[in-house]
Amino acid sequence: MKTWPMWVAGTIALAAMFHILTVFGLPYGIMNRAMAGIVAEAGGVNKPVYPESATAASRGIVRPSPDLLYTACAYDVSERPVKLTSPVPDTYWSLSTFASNTDNFFVVNDRQVKAGRIEIILAASENDATEEGIPVIVTPSRKGIVLFRSLVPSEDVRAEIDAMRRQSNCKPL
Amino acid sequence: MVQVPIRAGVGGPVRRRNPEPGRGSNGGNSLKLALKLVAVGVVALIVGVGSALLFVRGAGLGGDVSSGPWQTNLAIGSTEADPYTRARVAVAGLLALNRSETIYFTATRDEAGDVLRSGCIYKVTGTDPPARWWSVTLYGADHYLVANSENRYSYGGATIAREADESFIIAVGPTESEGNWIPTGGQTDATFSLTLRLYNPEPEAVTNPSGIALPTIVKEACPS
Repeated sequence: MKTWPMWVAGTIALAAMFHILTVFGLPYGIMNRAMAGIVAEAGGVNKPVYPESATAASRGIVRPSPDLLYTACAYDVSERPVKLTSPVPDTYWSLSTFASNTDNFFVVNDRQVKAGRIEIILAASENDATEEGIPVIVTPSRKGIVLFRSLVPSEDVRAEIDAMRRQSNCKPL
Repeated sequence: MVQVPIRAGVGGPVRRRNPEPGRGSNGGNSLKLALKLVAVGVVALIVGVGSALLFVRGAGLGGDVSSGPWQTNLAIGSTEADPYTRARVAVAGLLALNRSETIYFTATRDEAGDVLRSGCIYKVTGTDPPARWWSVTLYGADHYLVANSENRYSYGGATIAREADESFIIAVGPTESEGNWIPTGGQTDATFSLTLRLYNPEPEAVTNPSGIALPTIVKEACPS
């Protein structure tokens, strides 16, 4: 009996499996690498980094916008919730959170924040003890990335926007 | 006299020189089977992983919506994104926002359908798209900003020089140009792409991104 059709079918089935594993695994792998980069720069999880504006030398995240100042932290809510705080400028600003599979599961911008300042808690579960009166966002994954975007519309306001975004923080409760 | 082939050792007991019928061929078959299995595994790994990377990397961010040379994928950043979109975003647009916050249009070709090349000069012409703030940024084939003598990578709605009728023209090319100019980094054959970001897009852009007026990208010349 000829066995080569079985071998070809087996190879195709195995190749399909590797294909699917790669497509599903790639976002996790790339997010892990990005989180590791932020952790290395910040000196740990749940700590912010304040990189300068992206230039041609920037190799942290693909397709960065040179018109924004990014502030990032790698969150880890495994042990306790994480509190995010930031002053909110008049120009475009947003706080966004990304799960370990790259999904943008929460975003809020300056127009949606009324008080000029934001406080939000990331928690693994609704049952986690948090601070009263502060909105809680339940994360779909225990680890991920928080990204604050601050637009620098022109060079004359850069220093002011930069000083403000350096007050953005991520801290375990 | 018929010589008995010696398979194991020299000078050993006669019994060991004469393997039992079929014993040697069984060993050979096992080795063949093992080699076949390894070959299948290696080929499947190369084909499976290679095809996945080609599929994911070759398509940029992918695009289910087109407007002229611009493409966008409405599932970017969404929790409803399919696995391929997720993988493409991870490779070419990690940490992108969902479309209610920002719409990312990317162009890798000009109006004529030709691939954008660093050695050519293009004219990007348009009016403000319906968003609170917008920008046009140039990226190299590696998805990073391209080094240039001006350290200029983009123009935004707040800083771009406009024509008398409020429209704008951006020259994109390797040599300095009057007015708004985004350098391509040099007269090379390298490819590049442009990303148009619409921050806080108007509802019309969110519901019908292919229906809004976006800048045109026209090739003027290829001096190199």
